[in-house]
Amino acid sequence: MKNITKVFLAALLAVSFLFGLNSCSKKETGPIKIGVLLPLTGSKANFGEMEKNSFELAKAEINKAGGIDGRALEFVYEDDTGKPEVGRAGAEKLITVNKVPLITGGYSSSVTFAAAAVAQQYRVPFLVNTGSVDKITEPEAFNLTPKDGDKFYIYRLNPPVSEYASGLESLLQEVVKPKSVYIIHENTAFGTKGASSFKKSAEKLGIEVKGVQSYTEGTVDFKPLLLNAWKTKPDMFYMISYVMDAALIMKQARELNIKPKLFVGAGAGYTMPAFKENAGPAAEGVLSATLWHQSLPIKGAKEYFDNYVKKYGGDGPDYHGAEAYSAAYVVANVLKRCKGDYTPETIKKALDKTDMMTVFGPVKFVSYGKKIHQNKMKTYVVQWINGELKLVWPKNLANAKFEYPINWDKLWK
Amino acid sequence: MKEINLKWFSVTKTELYIILGAIIAPFIFYFSPYIQGLLIFIMMWVILGSSWNLLAGYTGQVSFGHAAYFGIGAYAAALPFYHWHISPWWGLLTGGIAAVILGYLLGIIVFRLRGPYFALGTLATAEILRIAFGEEEWLTNGHNGILYITTWVTKLPYYFIVLAIALGAVFSIKAVMHSKAGFYFLSIREDEDAAKAIGIDTAKYKNISMAISTFWAGTAGAFYMIYMGFIDPEIVFALHNISIITILVGILGGVGTIWGPAVGAVIMVFVQELFRSAFFGLAPRWVGNIHALVFGLLVIFVILYMAGGVVGDWDLIAKKFRRTKPKEAKA
Repeated sequence: MKNITKVFLAALLAVSFLFGLNSCSKKETGPIKIGVLLPLTGSKANFGEMEKNSFELAKAEINKAGGIDGRALEFVYEDDTGKPEVGRAGAEKLITVNKVPLITGGYSSSVTFAAAAVAQQYRVPFLVNTGSVDKITEPEAFNLTPKDGDKFYIYRLNPPVSEYASGLESLLQEVVKPKSVYIIHENTAFGTKGASSFKKSAEKLGIEVKGVQSYTEGTVDFKPLLLNAWKTKPDMFYMISYVMDAALIMKQARELNIKPKLFVGAGAGYTMPAFKENAGPAAEGVLSATLWHQSLPIKGAKEYFDNYVKKYGGDGPDYHGAEAYSAAYVVANVLKRCKGDYTPETIKKALDKTDMMTVFGPVKFVSYGKKIHQNKMKTYVVQWINGELKLVWPKNLANAKFEYPINWDKLWK
Repeated sequence: MKEINLKWFSVTKTELYIILGAIIAPFIFYFSPYIQGLLIFIMMWVILGSSWNLLAGYTGQVSFGHAAYFGIGAYAAALPFYHWHISPWWGLLTGGIAAVILGYLLGIIVFRLRGPYFALGTLATAEILRIAFGEEEWLTNGHNGILYITTWVTKLPYYFIVLAIALGAVFSIKAVMHSKAGFYFLSIREDEDAAKAIGIDTAKYKNISMAISTFWAGTAGAFYMIYMGFIDPEIVFALHNISIITILVGILGGVGTIWGPAVGAVIMVFVQELFRSAFFGLAPRWVGNIHALVFGLLVIFVILYMAGGVVGDWDLIAKKFRRTKPKEAKA
């Protein structure tokens, strides 16, 4: 027994030395390391991969153009596996082990929120690019007030989930004029908040909410849920899901021959290439709120889309990729304004003064309502037409005509 | 598993070494909060594993729903904070008590069942709680979860708190297993009807075992809330991440041994982190995906070749070790 204790202690010592050595090399000319928290494995890996690709694409371009004051930009990725507790540990590791002065990324709402608390506590700025539940940029959730801007380290590039459907509202008002809606949502922070805010918008627009039904991620049989919903004969379905559930919902809706006037997704899964791949013909005609489309008249949007397809193949990125790509450029912009002083405090001050253009749109962190450090953005509506995601709303920016009413029999053949 | 492992009680010197090692460990890794974080998780799993082990390993009531008690402990710490801003630290007192009350209430239902039916019953009750806590937003804030800005950034104080709880759990269970109640537990495990026939109030002793077990599980839950600062129903009532891992920790280390769950916890956290971090970044990324698979294989191996777990079958392992390397067998 004594032997074992000795061996164990020796092993402990050896490992501790290894870790000690790791942390003491520090070079002033080496690359500037920035932390990125993303779901690289697990059920949300689809999104994480697209965002990581986009970060890498932007990094290559930034470094090719001279990097940050002659130093290269480097991203240190930490896999949050889509779980809040792992995300927290990941953020902690980035801050304490990798000693990054800034974290970006942040995919799912609950993970981002949990990780944001870590960043806030360590006073390291966190530039969120996808996590969308409203409270992430509400200081109240972190025991602060909206006046504590200088004590609040969270910044967000993407709009909060409650604003995802703002572009959709005008489409509903002007073209479709539905009388009723049925809301189906994943029972997560993102889904619950998205459902309650769309319910409010619908009531404001005079659309009767026939029902709100949640489901657990990874459900395999949506048929009872869909049939129950269809019993109420809603004019439209509003659905908040990640990609695999989204594909399954549409597939089973097609099998059950459920034909409302509209199927509308709330972004997330419904704009991903993987949605179309998995749903097949059932994806046709489905609308979704979105934050970005490559055909928008924003400088660089099309180039980013094309470069992505050239480098990684496939169907190209949706708004998630654009968010990540833009976040990388915001990071580069912010670091350049730090003038060699890459400490969390200086970076935070530089973030406050951000006012720049990205492929995702203009980026500026403002305060309104309960939120601070929040970027304001317009949202749009896309539709799957002949296997491609087309921008259909607002009309003046659209690259495809929104055909209404939708002939499901023809699309689902 | 089939006999009382009395020899483990007598080696108090070893236990002293283990405690000493546990106290020194965070100082060895003083500059690595990352490792300290892992040590805290190990201790948390020691508590959960030991708690499960008392009920399942010693009393024979194999629970598949220990997440219920862990979760209720976490929410006992979180809910007063969420509603009235009462410090979650009180949870270290109330979490265990809340879990004991819940355990008693659930016991009324599940103790009527035996064997696989008991396992399924406990599994179902935990799942019911998970769904209920997700849906009842007015009470629990549902899937938005509850966030608490933790008291300290440094990990050392948390480590010593969780270490104290872990030692409390292990030694209270050891003490119970030394007492008359402990032998009653074993007799219930071996044959409940026979135990009843010789005059043991099986219902009462099953409840006592349940109470001690759930108390520690609930305290672990409360500690989780205080330490992590964020919980939601999917985290703390998780079937695979809490209930199942608890069982695996017990099986790996050794069912029905005092130190088994502790050894299981070390192995579990080590393997999980090794694969999650893809061998600390040395292996390709996809390695991270197979951690569940490797863990599963490990459990199958343990069940097939050393059903007593690492601690329960230690003599067997040591014997093999000696045969292949006779020179090191000295001392």
